[in-house]
Amino acid sequence: MKAVKCKAFFRGVHPHDMKYLSNKCETEVMPAPKVVAVSCSQSLGRPAVPVVEIGQDVSIGEVIARQDGAISSDVFASVCGKVTDIKDLVGASGATEKFIFIENDGREDKKYFEPLKDEDLTPQNIKQRIRDCGIVGLGGAGFPVAIKISPKSPVDTLIVNGAECEPYLTCDHRLMLEHTDEIVRGARYIAKSLDVTNIIIGIEANKPDAIAAFEKYDDIQPVILKRRYPMGGEKQLIYVCTGRKVGLGKLPADSGVVVQNVATCFASCEAIEQGKPHVERIITVTGKAVNTPKNLWVRIGTSIKEVVDYCGGEKVKPLKVVQGGPMTGIALSTYDVYTHKTTSGILLMTPEEAKRDDPTPCLNCGKCAEVCPMHLLPMNTAFYATAGDYEAAAKFGNTLSCIECGACDYICPARRPLIQSIRATKAAMRGKK
Amino acid sequence: MDNTVIISTPPHVKSRRTTKMIMLDVIIALLPCTAMGLAYYRLDAFITIITSVLAAVICEFIYYFIAKGGFARKCKDAKQVCKDFLHQFDFTSIVTGLILALIVPSSVHFYEVMLGSAFSIIIVKMLFGGTGKNLVNPAATGRVFMLLCFSATMGGIVTNAIGAVGAVGGDGVINTSATVLTELLGDGTTNASFLDIFLGTGITGSIGETCKLAIIVGGLYLIIRKVIKWWQPVLYIGVSFLMTLLLYGCDGTKNFAMMALDQTFSGGLFFGAVFMATDYVTSPKSRSGQIIYYVILGLLTALLRYFTGVEVVSFVIMIGNIITHLLDRYCIPHPFGYVKVKKQKAPKADKAAAKDAGAKEGTK
Repeated sequence: MKAVKCKAFFRGVHPHDMKYLSNKCETEVMPAPKVVAVSCSQSLGRPAVPVVEIGQDVSIGEVIARQDGAISSDVFASVCGKVTDIKDLVGASGATEKFIFIENDGREDKKYFEPLKDEDLTPQNIKQRIRDCGIVGLGGAGFPVAIKISPKSPVDTLIVNGAECEPYLTCDHRLMLEHTDEIVRGARYIAKSLDVTNIIIGIEANKPDAIAAFEKYDDIQPVILKRRYPMGGEKQLIYVCTGRKVGLGKLPADSGVVVQNVATCFASCEAIEQGKPHVERIITVTGKAVNTPKNLWVRIGTSIKEVVDYCGGEKVKPLKVVQGGPMTGIALSTYDVYTHKTTSGILLMTPEEAKRDDPTPCLNCGKCAEVCPMHLLPMNTAFYATAGDYEAAAKFGNTLSCIECGACDYICPARRPLIQSIRATKAAMRGKK
Repeated sequence: MDNTVIISTPPHVKSRRTTKMIMLDVIIALLPCTAMGLAYYRLDAFITIITSVLAAVICEFIYYFIAKGGFARKCKDAKQVCKDFLHQFDFTSIVTGLILALIVPSSVHFYEVMLGSAFSIIIVKMLFGGTGKNLVNPAATGRVFMLLCFSATMGGIVTNAIGAVGAVGGDGVINTSATVLTELLGDGTTNASFLDIFLGTGITGSIGETCKLAIIVGGLYLIIRKVIKWWQPVLYIGVSFLMTLLLYGCDGTKNFAMMALDQTFSGGLFFGAVFMATDYVTSPKSRSGQIIYYVILGLLTALLRYFTGVEVVSFVIMIGNIITHLLDRYCIPHPFGYVKVKKQKAPKADKAAAKDAGAKEGTK
């Protein structure tokens, strides 16, 4: 269908997207590493429980940890070999996670599910398969898709999120160009499981080639999104694509919409057509400090050091190493971190890129409130949180509705660490409840 | 990886705009007014502006030198202190000094403007915690301070070099104790035409306030650079104009529309609306608060001008600044996706219990 421009609009910020570093790089498959360390905490909710023992042989796609409860996801072996260790380590986020180490023996034995035949494509089967294959939302949050596509309220629209509003990252962009068909098929499967026919794909205007690629499908409506951060935020995307507002503390499904990332659609397509569990994903390695920026297919659990080495290592000494995008990603203190299902990028940022001046006094200029996609008052949060009064911070800043997109922090002319205050407030308020 | 990487909360990229750049923008926006002031009032204006700005910066430095950290240590390490000062210097005191110079008449003596500037910086700004912490606008307060202390010169003889050529002739000195506004407020007539009021030719007033065109140019620059929003000064001036129109319309003044227009364009209203009321620190944070703030300012300006017969913009801005803190407390926008919840009538017993709980909280 012909692409249409988005109707609604919100403020947000406009950082330099820096996508030119890697958006022309075709995806490469990175060879499987010698050792992978697969974390059991790959999704929102409870970590999975290991079901393998040390010394056990596993093949690619074999379940090594089972989901614990509904909001959780299975974890699979991403290489073929022997389980060498199961231990707790500090993960990228700073929290302790259980890691399963598998030594690669070089074989490529696969233990996939049976592909779903056309006549078996009932909503029930699709949901079951997506659950079995441990597909989680690959936009960043890692919410188990099986839960997301079993909404309690009636849904009439599926939005495929191809906004990729984070600067630097190009993995979704490359995926949309190289695997357009699979994404569309995956979206159709998900739509079928939801029993909806209205499929919208939202793509930011800086990816005209991707928009054009989706125009040739009759059942998918591409929407050209304005270049704004955080356009890919779930609530913002729903608002600009459909004009609906998702209520506070409500799920998108309550507004009749389900949002899925393009990478999620692709993974779902593979899960259904090939029975392939979630064992690899596409990662953008970029930043001005890396030798050759690349978009790579990486096995889950590969150490970031190996990924960076595969891209030619450091060109210059990076000031910051970030897992994820520059607006919401996690700054790493060490390369000994292993990729997750939700790792979308690895950034090596030079001092010029990541320089952060010392904070100066807040001028009350209101720029943070102006750009906030949630219409909050971050300066109030920062003011009260700095003084230690978290209750006032939450009250006067409406902090608990924050989506932590980082727009306020980006724009702040006084260079104040607003997200830090917001997170501190949220943590303190969570402790009180 | 050695220990040279830094970790922090996201975002890891930052916009290029800093506080310093915003303040620089404000200074640039003030340049047209400064230039016109210099053109109209020549040396007097030059001395006033230079004295005011220098006094402001020096006062900030002195305060920084004395107040932060041991005085003795700083005397020893003066060079480093100067460096630190320059590092944290954000041009705000230059802005304050410049605005103060532009809102006083050129007839003030240099020591008076020096005192006013020192009062603005030390008492109004630094003692309350420096940049971003002052309760009221330093420049407006400085002007009020000078008005009360040096009332003789603040409304005194004003030399207007250009205006003198056409309006009075002779030696270029207009001997008057009143600006156009005071004339208007007094007997309701003025010799000045509307164009004179707009351009500042042939009329007297404060250094930077006479030429409305220069103020509008500066304001447009601020709007283009997104330092202020277009509706802020427009709302203030518009409400003030409408209220003046209403007041003079009701009391049966002849030619009341022209009267209201002249009044709106004279005095310090334009300068105050563009440069002083929009001061970040002392205006409300949320948009709803700002709307109320500018409407209050507009109404107060018109009312007080009408009933007191003196120029009140600085006073009104001070009053508005104080209301700001009240507005900040109550004007909190609803988050995106907020749905208004219908208030359920709570049983009386619950309400009483809630009150009790509230009282207990209060006593803690």
